[in-house]
Amino acid sequence: MDQELVQRVQAGDKKAFDLLVLKYQQRIVHVITGFVHDPVEALDVAQEAFIKAYRAIPNFRGDSAFYTWLYRIAINTAKNYLTAAARRPPTMDVDAADATNYYDAPELKEFETPESNIMRNELEQAIHQAIEDLPEDTATAIKLREFEGMSYEEISQVMDCPIGTVRSRIFRAREAIDARVNEIMNQGEQQ
Amino acid sequence: MTANHTELLSALVDGELQGQELDKALQLLNNNELTREQLQRYQFASDVLHGNTRDNQRIDLSASVAQALDEEPVYSDKTKEKVNKASVIVLPKQFWQQAAGLAMAASIGALAVVGVVSQPQNQLVPIRTVANEVPVETTTVATTGNRWTVGEAEVADRLNTYLVDHNEYAGASDVFSYARVVSYEAGQ
Repeated sequence: MDQELVQRVQAGDKKAFDLLVLKYQQRIVHVITGFVHDPVEALDVAQEAFIKAYRAIPNFRGDSAFYTWLYRIAINTAKNYLTAAARRPPTMDVDAADATNYYDAPELKEFETPESNIMRNELEQAIHQAIEDLPEDTATAIKLREFEGMSYEEISQVMDCPIGTVRSRIFRAREAIDARVNEIMNQGEQQ
Repeated sequence: MTANHTELLSALVDGELQGQELDKALQLLNNNELTREQLQRYQFASDVLHGNTRDNQRIDLSASVAQALDEEPVYSDKTKEKVNKASVIVLPKQFWQQAAGLAMAASIGALAVVGVVSQPQNQLVPIRTVANEVPVETTTVATTGNRWTVGEAEVADRLNTYLVDHNEYAGASDVFSYARVVSYEAGQ
């Protein structure tokens, strides 16, 4: 799907790039925070990275996954930002080849605060609990998707059901998770 | 927003939409703010599961990025073609004509020089260069100070023909068109 969105941007559809931003903004900000620790600065650098990506997108030929390509731009933008600000970029690096499946890099976790860790754990536990509370078929479908990274087609083969059923089960799981996450987030805002 | 729409968004988060469904999802996102919020919530929950959030805060850069991109150009298929072709340097036809003329003139010049040098009156003697008693290479030099002897009619003729030919080719190919080459006359 990313490749199709990229082709649409290359053909003049700016809105398709908006969807790529919506999809990857959390991940890109998270990656940049590993380099630029100030939250406000990290957002600025992330925005700059997306703008650079848009400018370079006519050159993107799809030799690598879009996120891998975007990830490299984000890392370089962050390093350049630190260099320009006369701050030494961190010596640690994250292999771009792993960017697509890049989830829990320990190098980035060291910059998290105890408070953010508590919040993270609480949210994660709530989501896991929401999944466990789902009917078995629905829980299996979302687990195969989120934890095993399977496509709908692969899940339909594993669960021996039509792709439409897989899509519907995953949607129901997301609805339940969303309700639980909202509950936690609203509690956090009230405190 | 109907259940079908939200199901579409769920599939969008999973990257499972293509073609018309993707069109529909993009249209929904452009026209309905609630749809955007819903998509971001689904995406956020997925990012939390994968540890891809900063302090588990919901971030939305899309508005500021879109605003910054307002001044950027809208690409087209032609832009892509232009980028792809940019790596190939296309030289003008005139360049190749001049290069061909130059090559031809150089070849004729080389032939003339070789012809003159190989005249029998030039006594060429091989000289062996010796360094530390080990033969390294053999070179050939002319024993006379002149490159060629112009006193002889045959040599003068050959030079004359060469210069006339050179002048003709140069004129045809625009090479050295500014240079005026006259025929060589023996004895001058």
